[in-house]
Amino acid sequence: MRRRLPLSFVVLGSIGAAFVALPVLGLVSRAPWGRIAEILTGPGARAALRLSLEVSLLATLCSVVFGVPLAWMLARGTFRGRAVLRALVILPLVLPPVVAGVGLLQALGRRGIVGGWLERIAGIQLTFTTAGAVVAATFVSIPLVVLSAEAGFRSVDPRFERAAAVLGAKPGYTLRRVILPMVAPQLVAGAVLAWARALGEFGATITFAGNLEGRTQTVPLAVFQTLQTDQEGAIALSLVLVVLSICVLVALRDRITGTG
Amino acid sequence: MKRPAFVPVVVATLLVGGCASSSSTSASASGSGSSAELIVFAASSLTSAFNQIGSDFEAANPGTTVTFNYGSSTDLATQIGSEGTADVFASASGTAMDAVAKDPGVEDRTDFATNQLVIITPSDDPAAISSLEDLAEPGVQIVLGADGVPVGDYARLMLDQDGLTTQVMLNVVSNEPDDASVVAKVKSGEADAGIVYTSDIASNTDVRGVPIPSKQNVMATYPIAAVAASANAHLASGFVDYVTGSQGEATLKQYGFGPPETG
Repeated sequence: MRRRLPLSFVVLGSIGAAFVALPVLGLVSRAPWGRIAEILTGPGARAALRLSLEVSLLATLCSVVFGVPLAWMLARGTFRGRAVLRALVILPLVLPPVVAGVGLLQALGRRGIVGGWLERIAGIQLTFTTAGAVVAATFVSIPLVVLSAEAGFRSVDPRFERAAAVLGAKPGYTLRRVILPMVAPQLVAGAVLAWARALGEFGATITFAGNLEGRTQTVPLAVFQTLQTDQEGAIALSLVLVVLSICVLVALRDRITGTG
Repeated sequence: MKRPAFVPVVVATLLVGGCASSSSTSASASGSGSSAELIVFAASSLTSAFNQIGSDFEAANPGTTVTFNYGSSTDLATQIGSEGTADVFASASGTAMDAVAKDPGVEDRTDFATNQLVIITPSDDPAAISSLEDLAEPGVQIVLGADGVPVGDYARLMLDQDGLTTQVMLNVVSNEPDDASVVAKVKSGEADAGIVYTSDIASNTDVRGVPIPSKQNVMATYPIAAVAASANAHLASGFVDYVTGSQGEATLKQYGFGPPETG
């Protein structure tokens, strides 16, 4: 027998669903379908799409390269201050992105505590460069890899590691051949979420890396810029992000909602 | 395998993590029942000067509350046309005022201030900037307002008229969402120079201003008027008189605005 839901819940729930669906519906209904291909293949949009792809993939790579070992430290390490470190690593998730950008400026800007040194010694400037956009995107997306990978590492029974050790495997070998294959699904999920987050990054990027076509103007920044002069163009670009986000959610649906 | 513990966090992130939008207008509906409330729509570049003028006006007219709604003049003109809640409109451009003059109409329209562009550099001036031409030197890192943002449009107009567009644009490293962001990028030393309004730096001692000669500069003229549909017509024209009067002019000067052009 089907259970009946209380009417008040149905009403409130429907309002909630409509609230989430309406902006998407708005974008779809106001999209300039007639000239969407023309807009998205225009030089500005193409540059933004290419740059977004490049920046988000590099940010994902950095997040995995540094995030997975960090997750391992958090899952298996027994050092003091581990709880503090974990809180610190999650911080970029809850920080307003513009604050992240201001923080990055103070750390890695031309006059930042590390950035000034980088420029003097190595001649490297991150602000206003594509590398800076990658840094900003990595900062906001690395927590997703760490959290996902740490949950994966924690779900692995430590007896596997002990068994491998008893059989003569060195710790590095055990990690590569036993542990990492077991947590591969979580690593992939973390990487995909990090990619989606990096793709949507706006506040930290414009604050830290600035906004210049072909160099730091990713799709979200191009949406903002286009909105100043051409609302339809901004909607067309927004739809690209909506479609990509939906693809990510569909690909990860059982991981995010817990249902099949 | 047990359910991953990160699920709630992930969902929350996807909800909040998308974008930080920059909001420029904020209308605060204050005002108590017994006192008169005057609603003034004003260009965002007037924010500091008008906050000062507003409290002076309130002090001079006990029982009056002045509420400001700051934003881009073009947006404000659209809002006045569609909502009609404004008593007074102070615009950064004549065209935005023209739109309001057409619908719903204005009274007492007066040009009350001018604003010009100025070059700003960090206080230690790392790129040795002393003129517009210096912005064309190779390697100077310049930030401007973005296309479609008034301060950015004015800067491009000026560079165009001075024949410097080609060289200077090569040096532009970022197109910022508003004048405050241009100031911030220069103040922090990330950029070597930027172009903003003189009023942006009047109260700002952390950046160095390099004046641009009038013949190279462009001038923004600010008109003010009472909106025809105003329910507080008397108070509205009183406020317009105050802004265009000697006290208003003195305050505007203090905040970096020039006097209206005569003749």
